[in-house]
Amino acid sequence: MHERKVAILAIGTALLVPAPRELAAQVVSKLEAGSYTVTDGALPVSMLRLAPDFRVDLPHARITAHGSAYVSEQQLQVADGIVSGTFTSPTVYGVRAEMIGNASRAVDDRSLGTDQVDVQTRIHVLFHQRGGMWFGGGVARPWRVAVVSSADIADAGIWGKLGGATLTATFTNFSFTKIAAASDTAVASLSCAAATDGTCERQSRFGDLEGVLHWEGGPLELEAQTGYRFGNGYDVTPDSRRWSSATATIWLNDRIAVIGGGGRQPALPLRGLPARSYGMAGLELSYWPSSRSTVPVSFPRTVLVKSFEVHPAPEGMQKIVIHVGGVETVDVMGDFSDWSPLTLVRRGRDLWELSMPLSPGMHQITVRTDGGAWMAPPGMPTMHDSYGGDVGLLVVSDRSGH
Amino acid sequence: MTHTPWRRRAASLASASALAVLCAVSVRGQDPDPLGRLDPNSRFAIELIMDSASTAGLPTRPLMSKVLEGISRKADGRRIVAVVRTDFGYLKTARATLGGVSEEELAAAAAVLEAGAKPSQLAAFRVRQRGRSDLEAFTDWADLLTRGVPRDDASSAITKLWQDGADDATFHNLWKSVQSDILQGLNPGTALQNRVRETPGGPTPRKVKPPEGQQENQSSR
Repeated sequence: MHERKVAILAIGTALLVPAPRELAAQVVSKLEAGSYTVTDGALPVSMLRLAPDFRVDLPHARITAHGSAYVSEQQLQVADGIVSGTFTSPTVYGVRAEMIGNASRAVDDRSLGTDQVDVQTRIHVLFHQRGGMWFGGGVARPWRVAVVSSADIADAGIWGKLGGATLTATFTNFSFTKIAAASDTAVASLSCAAATDGTCERQSRFGDLEGVLHWEGGPLELEAQTGYRFGNGYDVTPDSRRWSSATATIWLNDRIAVIGGGGRQPALPLRGLPARSYGMAGLELSYWPSSRSTVPVSFPRTVLVKSFEVHPAPEGMQKIVIHVGGVETVDVMGDFSDWSPLTLVRRGRDLWELSMPLSPGMHQITVRTDGGAWMAPPGMPTMHDSYGGDVGLLVVSDRSGH
Repeated sequence: MTHTPWRRRAASLASASALAVLCAVSVRGQDPDPLGRLDPNSRFAIELIMDSASTAGLPTRPLMSKVLEGISRKADGRRIVAVVRTDFGYLKTARATLGGVSEEELAAAAAVLEAGAKPSQLAAFRVRQRGRSDLEAFTDWADLLTRGVPRDDASSAITKLWQDGADDATFHNLWKSVQSDILQGLNPGTALQNRVRETPGGPTPRKVKPPEGQQENQSSR
């Protein structure tokens, strides 16, 4: 159980490391509901599936909870659930560190449920915000599956953005000890013939190479992925050697989308889930755009800040209100913050707010979205600053804001 | 359990590296001495400028803000020193021109000089009016200069409005109209001249005499 304690300690550390001064939370929720058809070698089964998603974003941390449940014989059955915590350092010279902790449970009709705790660290390198790469490693500890050890995970990936499309390629290597089972390949079963104590533990290793294409254009989002699993016949069943799937999302308005897709998923040995084909169609209730980016780090997009306003708020505070859609984060920075970024809180689809004390006088202020370039906010006087950029000039009078 | 030792060591090393980076960044964010992020020569030069500003009775906060902005924008130490030295000059000039004004007004006047106004053009604002702030006027003035309005045109328009007692809303509305016209492609100087005529307190448009026999039924603004 040593690994378990280490994993829990690491998750706790990742979540407890205090985010710097600009602590401000943003809560995003999402719900998918629709028909889900799955086939894992037997007859296809269709069911009504609900998949809620909840996320709290802090300036350098993210906590997410995701689950799915289906209605079977008029009863709601939980299929899986996962709670994740991610701590991300600021980008320094294009390099960013990330620590991820996950705790999950998956329920399959072949088992009573499997649990897993895993911790990973990653180092990201960004190339001019248009692409990047990362490498990392971690440890996963599953329970109630044939895997009897903690699993070593090493992964590396590269991504790039081309117009509205984002391409990502990843390679993930898994290494663990498992008990050979009848459901394994015949070759694996044969390898146990020499076992004398009735058990057959063996070292297992495989690697997943996966490519993902994500494209967004207007209200349409498309995502397609395909993969290949490397490994010998002991570790990779034929039905998990290759896979591909696709999902299409059409936003009917800023809160409701029609979502549909299908394909093949490989087996997940660490979670005790078999390979399966699936098809799904349903509705998604969410803010638009939901965070479905295939890119592992935030990157700037060309966005239009629709409006930027400052209003007097109670107790001598000033409230900054920004309307900008299609972004994940909005920061402001200026003399009032000693030129350190302050992250705004999302209050709606494209509404962002931040209340803070601003002394009377003229302030220089800049804004950025998704960690991109700093720019002068629209709708207020601007001037060139001394370092090659533009700043907004915000006047706060004794009586009121701008 | 059988594990390859090098993989475990690599995982431990990666974890330790990530934690070290996170801690280092966290500590850097709480740095109580912002000048500590400058190289020794730049730091020394900045401290000299700050001392000079204090001795001259000038506010050091705007200068320190320039240092922090430069650090935030990852500017070279020598560049930061040059910027702060220039701004120190603007503050001295603004104080010499305006006399005893508040720190906020002094910083705003320095911004106008930085945007391209001549010191003599600030002189009209030396005469203070009780309870009246020139921050909005200075801010809009700096913006007009940045947008390419000729220096003398911007100066005369802002000064005239100020002397006529225009309030903050008047200055702001003028700026809003002019920048809208410029964004639509109008020449900056022309945009200002057109809009300033429509502004209460602005130059009175030339009065057109009605044809004989017709009554003048509309007064000019």
